[in-house]
Amino acid sequence: MIELEGISKTYAKSAVKAVDGLSLKVDNGEIFGFLGPNGAGKTTTIKLLTGVLRADSGSAKVDGIDMAASPLEAKRRIGYVTDNPEIFARLKAAEYLNFVADVYGVDSATRQERIGKYAGLLGIKDVLNASIGSYSHGMKQKLLVTGSLIHDPENWILDEPMVGLDPKSAFSLKEIMRERAASGKLVFFSTHVMEVAEKLCDRLAIINKGKIVFTGTLAELKAREGSDESLESIFLELVDDGEEAAS
Amino acid sequence: MKVFLSLCALYLRSFYNLPGKRAPGTKPGAKELLKEAGLLLVALLAVANVGFIFVMLNLALYDALAPAGMQGMIILNTAVVVTALTLILGFLTALSTYFLSDMELQLLSMPIKPRALLGAKFVAVYASEAAFSLGLMAVTMVIFGIKEAPGPLFYLWGILASLLLPLPVLALSYLVQIPLLSLARFLRNKQAILVIGGILGVVLAVGFNLYFQSGMAHQADPEWLAKNFAGPDSLIARLGQVYPPAQYAWRAMTAPASASGAAAILAMAIACLAGPALVVALMSGMYAKSLIGFNESHLKKLDAGDARSFIGRRMRSSSAFLSMVKREIRLMNREPIYLLNGPLIIVLMPVIFAVMIIVQRDAFLSDPDMAGIMALLDSGRGALVAGLLGGFLGSGTSIACTSVSRDAKALPFIKSLPVRPADYLLAKLAHALIFGAAGSAVGVGCLAYLAKLGPADIAIGFLVAFGLSSLLNMGGLWLDTASPRLRWDSPMAALKQNPNSVIAILGSMGLMGLLGYLSFTLGLGRAEVALWMGLAPLALFGLLYAAFPRFAARRLAAMET
Ligand SMILES: Nc1ncnc2c1ncn2[C@@H]1O[C@H](COP(=O)(O)OP(=O)(O)OP(=O)(O)O)[C@@H](O)[C@H]1O
Ligand SMILES: [Mg+2]
Repeated sequence: MIELEGISKTYAKSAVKAVDGLSLKVDNGEIFGFLGPNGAGKTTTIKLLTGVLRADSGSAKVDGIDMAASPLEAKRRIGYVTDNPEIFARLKAAEYLNFVADVYGVDSATRQERIGKYAGLLGIKDVLNASIGSYSHGMKQKLLVTGSLIHDPENWILDEPMVGLDPKSAFSLKEIMRERAASGKLVFFSTHVMEVAEKLCDRLAIINKGKIVFTGTLAELKAREGSDESLESIFLELVDDGEEAAS
Repeated sequence: MKVFLSLCALYLRSFYNLPGKRAPGTKPGAKELLKEAGLLLVALLAVANVGFIFVMLNLALYDALAPAGMQGMIILNTAVVVTALTLILGFLTALSTYFLSDMELQLLSMPIKPRALLGAKFVAVYASEAAFSLGLMAVTMVIFGIKEAPGPLFYLWGILASLLLPLPVLALSYLVQIPLLSLARFLRNKQAILVIGGILGVVLAVGFNLYFQSGMAHQADPEWLAKNFAGPDSLIARLGQVYPPAQYAWRAMTAPASASGAAAILAMAIACLAGPALVVALMSGMYAKSLIGFNESHLKKLDAGDARSFIGRRMRSSSAFLSMVKREIRLMNREPIYLLNGPLIIVLMPVIFAVMIIVQRDAFLSDPDMAGIMALLDSGRGALVAGLLGGFLGSGTSIACTSVSRDAKALPFIKSLPVRPADYLLAKLAHALIFGAAGSAVGVGCLAYLAKLGPADIAIGFLVAFGLSSLLNMGGLWLDTASPRLRWDSPMAALKQNPNSVIAILGSMGLMGLLGYLSFTLGLGRAEVALWMGLAPLALFGLLYAAFPRFAARRLAAMET
């Protein structure tokens, strides 16, 4: 379970609030989609949630544990896939996975089983001995996903995980998401793919200019907007309204 | 032309970490301004350090040559020195910036002429060369100017000459490197070539340094200087006579107001501009092609059975801290630029010195200074000298003082892991200490072998070396945690263009010099050396170590990447 309460963040080198008094609650067993235009504050929100950035005000809680008060406890309950897979080019994939598993304290047998499973599902099992620098963008993405599941986290947080995945891998990823939600775990991801959000998510939130403009199910969204159009057109209207309101 | 200029601006900015345009509505804070002022001060100190040696040498040379009416030779001397130094510096800079990052591949896909690409890179490398050359020549111009009062044209020619001198040597560097790295495409082994080139550069630099130092050693002996350093028969003068640009610079500046002076500068300009023009005109195509494939590497696939056994064999748990230290070591040692400027120093320096000593054995042993040093070492100061040498090697690896900057790209990921900030940073310290111990051992070991030190001296020497290098490494880590360089385009920037590594090296040299001086003037004995230079630094290290976790947690939380 994750809870954000009135959380705000202004980057030191910037004058605008990237995230502005944002509140959000996501329950266990849910697949939660996080939508919003470029620069809306999705990545910043996720970084606040995972303890990568320090909030100016407000709080982030993971399974009821406050990120600012007990960061290690909170972080242990999270698996995080960053939006930038361009890290550790000089490490081998196996070294990277061992490093992550060591940090989370996963024993040898368990890590072998989970790596076997997820690397197999995503199709990178045969290149685990290679250097990450020789991976394609999509392969790096899959490696990050595998690494983020190594400790079987209660809360799985992914920043635009579908970017650069081929159809088969994207399908596998969605299957893994469904499987985890079915077993009572939480999945939270940001995306620009409306179709994925429409079909996959139990609930979703739309963020614009650092503020939440909607939270709820797709049906609730349609009811509130009084339209039966696709998520895409409702999204475009909502975000457009936001722009007009701001200017 | 417009493309070329904006490319120049792009390269200059990413080479020298110039600030871009400020976002509207943001003002530089007082802290930021203070930081910039501090950096400027450090840069000035660094320049002043080299400048001082050069001023002293030039003054001594002037005094030695003036009685014979040959004082003009110091200009030729400077021209040759500038040429040699910019050759070394330029070769190394050109090599290490040959392929900056994948950004260059993106540039290749744009409608940019290869000429603009190579030309802009040439300009960016040249900028630092020109500044360096101007600095050295300025020293000579000031000394010569005060003593001889030549007319204003002297200064104009001097400035022009120093701007022109680095051009041909830089062109030469590219003339060598472009074919070399084009060929390497077939060898698919550019990393190795980078390492070899780097080693070559270090050898050249050390060789030159030794030559320079030998001049400094005879500062009080003008006759020796005149004969060996700048007289008509010296190596430098002979080099100057066969190298036309140096020759022209000398002629122009010794007869500035005459027609022959102006003619010499004109000839020099033509000679110096021809090289870069030819290289850019004829070799840019080859250069652009050689950039392709710079980021290639091998990818070997396992079959299903192998993959299973691979996972069983290789996926094994170890302690989190150990795993973090291993990661640090791998990330540093697998990046050629880091390896070369960091850990390899420990091995390279002694090897280079050993080669030189073997080559010049007779000269070294018969040298009266050397005999003096040997006598000193025999008289019980061996432990101290060994300790200072080892301490310098142990802290000269730039590991700690660039560790946060080097890891900038991974920081968001690292911060999401359940790791105490202090542990993460202390893994970096452990990495530095491991190589610090190795450097201490190599430094002390070399001196112990040369000076035949006894076990007590060796033990005290190692204590001093490890104590000092540990303290310096802790200081370096503190520095890079306090103000890391988090935004960069190529990994090199995190180490070579990181002010923290400059501060750390200068600080280390300063500390070693100061301690050496103090212990000689105070006449410290063995036990006192062990206490004040071994145990005291270790105690100080302990204090800093104890205070570090709180500081680390605060700083890491505040970092935004
Ligand atoms: N490191 C940073 N320093 C300063 N400002 C930043 C930084 N990162 C993001 N911002 C600013 O914060 C705001 C929100 O950015 P964020 O990356 O959270 O958007 P996003 O919703 O993830 O966008 P995208 O869909 O493009 O990924 C933007 O205005 C951006 O310019
Ligand atoms: Mg984003």
